[in-house]
Amino acid sequence: MHLKIATLLAVLSLLAASCSEENIEVSVEINTAADSPVSTTELSLDGIWQAIGSASWNLEGHTASKTPVTRVLGALGGIPAGMSVVEGGEIPYLPAALEQRNANLENWNEKDSVAKCYIPGIPRLTYMPFPLQIFQTESKIFMAYEFGGNSRTIHMDRPGTSAPLPSWMGYSLGHWEGNTLVVDVSSQMAETWFDSAGNFHSGALHVEERYTPIDANHIEYEATITDPDVFSRSWKIKLPLYRRLEESARLLEYKCVEFAEDLLYDHLRKGYEGPKNLDGSVN
Amino acid sequence: MKRNLSIILSTIAVSASGISLADVPITSWGKPSLQGNWDFATVTPFQRPAAFADQEFLSEDEIAEYEEAVRAGRAVNASREFAASGEESQGDVDVGYNSFYLDQGTTMSTTRRTSQLIYPINGRMPPATEAAKEAGAYFRALQSRSPLGPEDRNAFDRCILGFNAGPPMRSGAYNNMMQLIQTEGYVVIQTEMVNDHRIIPTNGGTALPNNMRLWKGDSRGEWEGETFVVTTTNFTHLSRFSGTGESMTLTERFTRLDEDRLEYEYTVDDPESFEDKWTAVVEMQNTEADLFEYACHEGNYAMPLMLSGARKQEANGEEDDTWLPSWSR
Repeated sequence: MHLKIATLLAVLSLLAASCSEENIEVSVEINTAADSPVSTTELSLDGIWQAIGSASWNLEGHTASKTPVTRVLGALGGIPAGMSVVEGGEIPYLPAALEQRNANLENWNEKDSVAKCYIPGIPRLTYMPFPLQIFQTESKIFMAYEFGGNSRTIHMDRPGTSAPLPSWMGYSLGHWEGNTLVVDVSSQMAETWFDSAGNFHSGALHVEERYTPIDANHIEYEATITDPDVFSRSWKIKLPLYRRLEESARLLEYKCVEFAEDLLYDHLRKGYEGPKNLDGSVN
Repeated sequence: MKRNLSIILSTIAVSASGISLADVPITSWGKPSLQGNWDFATVTPFQRPAAFADQEFLSEDEIAEYEEAVRAGRAVNASREFAASGEESQGDVDVGYNSFYLDQGTTMSTTRRTSQLIYPINGRMPPATEAAKEAGAYFRALQSRSPLGPEDRNAFDRCILGFNAGPPMRSGAYNNMMQLIQTEGYVVIQTEMVNDHRIIPTNGGTALPNNMRLWKGDSRGEWEGETFVVTTTNFTHLSRFSGTGESMTLTERFTRLDEDRLEYEYTVDDPESFEDKWTAVVEMQNTEADLFEYACHEGNYAMPLMLSGARKQEANGEEDDTWLPSWSR
């Protein structure tokens, strides 16, 4: 019952927002809603969300393929196919940057910093196959990501400010445009990729994200990528985020360091005899 | 009824310490606001020093004297930081760290207590059990040998947990900061140390099954009057806080005292590891400072260096532990 009221309110506010922007005459009921200030509760993005698809493997359209771990995981270790989430299909690389992207594909698993459990940055964390949770307050919006226990604070209360130095998650400033949360992300590290297919950027990357709730259980996610050192023009990805509806849904731990250690340090190990697994067993 | 009583009791306690609830910011849904950035650096010792054996609180003069002694001690350390050799050659430079990198606070907690520990009442840790002593010796042995693999090092060296990020949070060498984000349904603790967060439901949550063990444990919260009480269980056997084990039950109590102060009290209950419970309390200070991104694992050059150094020593048939920090030897 509670959910239904919230849904109704969200739909009303959605209608009201789009109507007021376009100056369309609408029914008395909706005009009433538009006249009253829209509360943050009605616009809430609160909850646990997750992308579906294989954008984190490759933003562009791709067929299924092998990975280095198909040798041990077989059918469980392949990359699933997926349609492009890039508007227009392809990423508009500058010629030299396209060569770099193609070179990245060789031994990509050793170059993709996320395989090492480094912080993936934005937008990649949004569409990795792990849930994220949004906590909405008036001054700050906090986004927590299960992968690596990462997070970021979106400052709603300090427009026009900038970060003192770059970081892996960058610096996020937010504002509302109707019922859309618009986030300006700057000062990210140059080392992250957009996916595991070598799609990359420079330290000049600028991302504008738009989170628009389209009903109670779906957010339309858009990210416009601008980086004149790498791309010939700005380009956009678009994909839905789905609310995790399980009653028990929650973010658990994916402390990826313990898995990345196998990739990073195996060659530096001696025959090991101490505790390795969380249950105390020894491999 | 129990709830009403605890509200009355906490009101009395608050009044007794001269704090008016009118000073506490309140959320739109009527709970004390915990949101903000909180600094928990303090020079108040964790355990009560022998000099204060029977003394629970300090006077203003004694606090000033103690803080001055801490500053003087640090100045002495800093003055010998570049000694190249000799008995005190490590001095302020204990394998990579000198005072430049340390940010341990300069003031005692506004609790005015002689120690963070308030139970046992002598302000000292209760004795460890035999089982905990054995476990401690095992992990100390791992720490003090040339590492055979990354798992020999503790969860802090591996950047899996933060040495002061808990749970529970306790003032340490640096990054003694946390951000609290608060909605009606959740309180989120984001610690600067190793850039990690805990998501705590305010409705009591649902306990994880016993077989699901998390590095930071499973935290569930509830309001008891003006205090947000968080219970954490389901730790791993490697989530060791001052010698605790996987069966620790941690109870943390967050009470906003006024605009500037957040009382943080926690009790460790781990009968398998300690012969009694223990409880500590500090007052965190509100700060306008931002948390920085402590990308620990991304910059963990020490791990491959320790491992490759160990392999090289083996290859050369050398036995040498001088590369270990003093706290590991």
